[in-house]
Amino acid sequence: MTCFEFRRLLLAQPRELTALQQEHAAGCTSCAKAAEAAVGLDMQRAQSLLVPPPEALADRILLRQKMGPRTHYGMWAIAATLVVGVALGIQHYRSYDTAHENVNTATAVGMNHPAVAAISFVLDHEPQLLKENRSGDPNVMRAAFQRLGLKLPGDGVSMRYLGKCPVPGGTGDHVVLQTPYGHVTLILVPDYPVGSRVMVADRNMTALASPVEKGGYIVIAQSRQVIREIERMLGS
Amino acid sequence: MFATKQSKFESMVRAYSTELYRYAYWLCRDRHTAEDVVQETFARAWKACDELRDDKAARSWLYTILRNEHARLFRRKPLDIDHDQALDEIVDDSARDPAQELEFRDAMNALPPSYREPLLLQWIGGYSCKEIAEIMGLTEGAVMTRLTRGRIALGRLDGTAARRRKGRSA
Repeated sequence: MTCFEFRRLLLAQPRELTALQQEHAAGCTSCAKAAEAAVGLDMQRAQSLLVPPPEALADRILLRQKMGPRTHYGMWAIAATLVVGVALGIQHYRSYDTAHENVNTATAVGMNHPAVAAISFVLDHEPQLLKENRSGDPNVMRAAFQRLGLKLPGDGVSMRYLGKCPVPGGTGDHVVLQTPYGHVTLILVPDYPVGSRVMVADRNMTALASPVEKGGYIVIAQSRQVIREIERMLGS
Repeated sequence: MFATKQSKFESMVRAYSTELYRYAYWLCRDRHTAEDVVQETFARAWKACDELRDDKAARSWLYTILRNEHARLFRRKPLDIDHDQALDEIVDDSARDPAQELEFRDAMNALPPSYREPLLLQWIGGYSCKEIAEIMGLTEGAVMTRLTRGRIALGRLDGTAARRRKGRSA
C-alpha cells in the first residue's frame, strides 16, 4: 500500500483502519501521525454533532403512539372538538357538583381520552422525570396558570417538577406538586380545548380533565377527594 | 403478542430516539422539524413493526425510515431554517470553543447533502461504509468517495472560516 492509498482510505474511514493500513502505518511514521491526527479531528467533529435532544422526547413519542396517529383531517377534528368541547364545557361547568361527579372507567371513555393518557403518562414516565431532577422556568408555569385563570397553589404546596409533556395537538405544562394530600400532578393546556369535564379512575389513580375559559387542565391524584382539594386551591 | 410489540417498540424509542433526533437535526437544521421527523419516523415504525423480522436490524431500519420521512417532508415544503437559532440551544454544553463550534456548524450546513449525509451516518450512527451503503442504497465505493470528498470539502470550509477568524483578530 502506498502513502497515497493509505491517506485516501483514511479520509473515508479514519477510525477503522484496515489490516493493510495498519501494516503500512507500522512502517511509515508520517502516515501513522496523519492517522492519529485524523482520528482526533474526527472524534472532535463527531462530538460537535451531539446536539441536546428535546426534553422527554421518548416519552412524547410513546404517548403519541398510545394516543393513536394524527389524521389528515386533524385540523377539522380539532375545530370540531373546539366547538363541541366549548359548548359542553360551559354546560358542564355551570352545573358542576364535584361531590356527585361521576367517575368513569378508562374503558368507558376510551384509552385515547386525555385523562386516561395523563394517568399513563404519570405512572409510566413521571418517575423517570422526577429522577432526572430537571426543572423548567417557574415564570412559564405562572403564565400558564394565569392564562387559565387559576390560582397558584398556596401554603403547604411545593413544586417537585416542572416541564413539558405531550397532549393531543401540542404540548402542555407538566407540574408535579408535593401537597399535604400527597403527590399531585397537574397538566396545564392553555389554548387547547380539553372537551367536557370528565373524571376517570384507572390503575389506582384518578384524573380529572376540566375545561376552563381558555384551554383546560388535568389533575392526576390518588383519589377524587384529593382532586377536589386541589381544585379548591386552584380556585377553579 | 401486543405486549411484545409494545415492549419492542418502547425499547426502540428509548434506545434510538436521541441519536435519530440528532441525525434529523443535522439533516434539516431545525429543532422543531427534527422532532416532527422523528415523531413521524416512529409512527411509521409502529405501523410496520411486524415487518421487522430481525431485531438487530432495527436501528438501520429506523435510519432508513427517517431518511425517507425527511425526503418526503422536503418534497412537500421548503424547509424554513432558523439560522439565528442560538448556539447554546443546539450544541451540548462542554468546554469546546463556541466560535469554532459555530464555524463547524456553518461548514456542515454548507456541505452538499450528498456529502453531509454519509458523514452524519458515520459520526452519529457510527456506521461503517458498508452499512451506510445499505442505508443509502449506494455502492460501498460510492459511499467511500462521498466520505472522502465530504471530509476534504469540510476541511476547506473549516480552513476558510479559520482564516476569516484570523483576519478579524489581526
